[in-house]
Amino acid sequence: MKQIMLFFLFFLMTSQTAYAEFDIQYAIDQAKAGDSIHIPAGRYQGNFTVKKPIKLYGQKGTELYAQNDEPVLKIEHVSNVSIENIRITAKNKGIVANEADNLELRAIELKDIRVGIYLQQSRHIRILENRIIGNESHFAEKGNGIAIFKSEDVVIDQNTIEQVQDGIYVEEGTRIDVQRNKVTNSRYGTHFMYSSNVKVLFNTYLQNVTGLMVMMTTNLEISSNTISAHNGFNSYGLMMYDTQEAMVRENSFLHNRVGVALQKSSVIQIQENRFQMNQTALECTKVDERSIIMDNQFTGNILTARSDNRGLRLIHNFYDDYTGLDVTGDGFGDVPYVAVSSFGQWMVRQPVYQFFVASPSVVILTSLDQQINKTERNLLVDNEPKLLSNMKEIEFSLNILQLVIGFIVFMGSLWLWKRGIRV
Amino acid sequence: MALEKGDTSVTRWIMIVIICGVILVGCGEKTYLPREINSETDVCEVCNMSIVHNEYAGQIVLKNGDYEIFDDIGCLMDYIELNGDGEVGAAYIKNKATNEWIDVYKAIYVYNKNYWTPMNYGVIAFATKDEAKEWMNDEEEGQLFAYRDLLTLNWGIHE
Repeated sequence: MKQIMLFFLFFLMTSQTAYAEFDIQYAIDQAKAGDSIHIPAGRYQGNFTVKKPIKLYGQKGTELYAQNDEPVLKIEHVSNVSIENIRITAKNKGIVANEADNLELRAIELKDIRVGIYLQQSRHIRILENRIIGNESHFAEKGNGIAIFKSEDVVIDQNTIEQVQDGIYVEEGTRIDVQRNKVTNSRYGTHFMYSSNVKVLFNTYLQNVTGLMVMMTTNLEISSNTISAHNGFNSYGLMMYDTQEAMVRENSFLHNRVGVALQKSSVIQIQENRFQMNQTALECTKVDERSIIMDNQFTGNILTARSDNRGLRLIHNFYDDYTGLDVTGDGFGDVPYVAVSSFGQWMVRQPVYQFFVASPSVVILTSLDQQINKTERNLLVDNEPKLLSNMKEIEFSLNILQLVIGFIVFMGSLWLWKRGIRV
Repeated sequence: MALEKGDTSVTRWIMIVIICGVILVGCGEKTYLPREINSETDVCEVCNMSIVHNEYAGQIVLKNGDYEIFDDIGCLMDYIELNGDGEVGAAYIKNKATNEWIDVYKAIYVYNKNYWTPMNYGVIAFATKDEAKEWMNDEEEGQLFAYRDLLTLNWGIHE
């Protein structure tokens, strides 16, 4: 028995040892341009550098780790490099790429790292299907999951990022596509600064301080994202500061302290989004008159909108607290919807008032507002509020696959019952 | 009876000392001390970013005792430009060399567009010229500024 136990212990201890006979850096140095290097499974300690166009593939169970503060993998001044299927553990940075062109990082797991992927002055980059997990410390002491500086034409697709400072941080980036990623439990899900031509599509941001932080950035498309449960003291679903020319469309903002906040921004179109169960759905300060809020659905929010700007345009939105009628039958309310709330306007100036939201005095004040504000004509007024929610269309949709499976199971059960077979 | 007289006299003296103390405190110049940054709750008053890089942070103590916190000296200057400094009791910025609070009006600043700061304005504060020069020896060379130069600086990212 003792020998069997010792055998298993020996097996467990040796199963994770590195393949001493395979020297990764030597293989990289010896490779010719365009070669593929297949790394055998095992743990490899070191700091590796790629300076030639090669492909690095890890077999299942390949792990690289660094015991010092240097990055595990550096990719420098090179074109056409591909890294795939490797696990990386590091105290500081996992992968650093500097002046890289046509680089692909795919299916890499970076765990317990400070900064996952750090990229600067690079272009034509694809960061796909990676998994980045930070550590348990406070976000102020962490680095970013994916950090991109002064780079262009970058696709960040289907990555999962948890417990870092900013899931995806982009500074001075051009033509950046962030799509189908999931970022949770971090400071900002995605953070843009001084960037342009940005697309943020089909991402999920959950339980961060703020889902999407956009600063000093121009020409954005933010569509079909789900941004939910950002409800800390300073949290926002989407925060846009000093941003120009953005289309925010078909997103879901759910259970956030503030769904969307706009500050010092211009030419922003917020269309066909779903604002549901937020403390405040929409907050706008210093937003220009060319920005519009159109065809959105506001349901279950404590405050629909607050703004300091008389020009903010609300058009054809659906509000669940609208009490008007549609006698003309055109689908729009006959009297304007007024979103002005005295309490909401105070909250713009003093965020600490949020702690009194839904208190009895605020409820009474809001009811008074609804009576008094019927004469309001400029501030937060939607002259043609939509009466039917678009969500009704979704309720009647059919899942064909589920229907077919259900039908087959039903017919099968019927057949078994008829034959008198006991299951 | 003699004891009661003594008691009254002592009480009178204590009252006089307290009143004098209150008057002196009232006439004295009010001090506005900086407070520590709390990364969990503090956000920049101007740009809304949470303060995670303490070594670049700034703060203004208003005369009413309120604190306005900033993540970058550029945001602090933006606030002063917008609101004036009439209500400012004191203003502090972190010394990059020592991570201690220093007076914004007396600090020495170094500017280089390549210096990284939270808002990328490229301006870093030091308590003395020697500290600033030591920084420039280790990093890239920059331009030395005093507070009055910041008032006319073209803030923003520079190509």
